[in-house]
Amino acid sequence: MSNKEKYDQVFVESFSVSPDVLNADFVYQCVPQWDSVGHMAMIAALEDTFDIMMETEDIIEFSSYTVGKEKLKKYGVEV
Amino acid sequence: MDSFSLDCRELQAYQPNRYPFLMIDHVDEVAPGQFARGYKNLTLNEWYFPVHFPDGPNMPGALQLEALAQMLTVAITTLPGLKGKVTHALQHTVRFRREVVPGEKFEILAEVLSWKRGICKGKGTATVNGEIACEADMMITIPEILEQYLPRAKG
Repeated sequence: MSNKEKYDQVFVESFSVSPDVLNADFVYQCVPQWDSVGHMAMIAALEDTFDIMMETEDIIEFSSYTVGKEKLKKYGVEV
Repeated sequence: MDSFSLDCRELQAYQPNRYPFLMIDHVDEVAPGQFARGYKNLTLNEWYFPVHFPDGPNMPGALQLEALAQMLTVAITTLPGLKGKVTHALQHTVRFRREVVPGEKFEILAEVLSWKRGICKGKGTATVNGEIACEADMMITIPEILEQYLPRAKG
C-alpha cells in the first residue's frame, strides 16, 4: 500500500467518509466527524500508521487534507 | 510516581463535583496516570433512592457511570500540574450487570488505558459484594489541554 493510500485510509476510517471527498476542500470541521476529538484520533492514527511523533505546532496547523500532506514531509513521509 | 489515598475531603481537590453529584466517597489508592480505586457507600439517605424508585430503590445507572467517570478523572488529575482541572465526558459505553441497592458498598476501579494531548481513554469496573455491577469503556477530556492542539475553526 502506498503512502497516499495509507494517508487516505486514515481519513476514511477516522471520519467515516468516502475517498471521493478527499480533496483541497476537505478541511477541519467540514464534516461533523472532524471535530476536536476526531482531530486527535486522526493525528494518533497517522502517527501509528507512519511511526512518527508529530510536534504540537504541526498538529495545530494540520487544518486540511492538503496541508496534512505538507506536514508529513517534515517527518520523512512523502504522500 | 508513588500511589496514595484520598479521603472525602482531599478527593474534592481533584474533581469538581459536589453534593448532590459527588459519586465517590473515598479513593483507597491512586497511581497517577495509571489507575484509581475506591468506593461509594450507599445509604437509604441518598437523594435519588426515594424517587428511583419508591417501591424499589436502586442506584440509577447513569449515576453508576458517573461514579466510574469521577474515579477516572482522579486517576488523571492527580498527575503533576493537573490538580483542579475540569474534565468533560466525550464517549462512554457501559454495561450494567446487577442492581445496586441501599446498604451496599459500590467499589470502583478506574484504569487509564491512554492519556495523550488532553484525551484519556479508560476502563471502569464497579463491584458490589464481589460481583460486577457495571463496566464501562470511557473517554474523557481536559478541554483546557485539548484546545491547545486544535486547528483554528473554519470561519
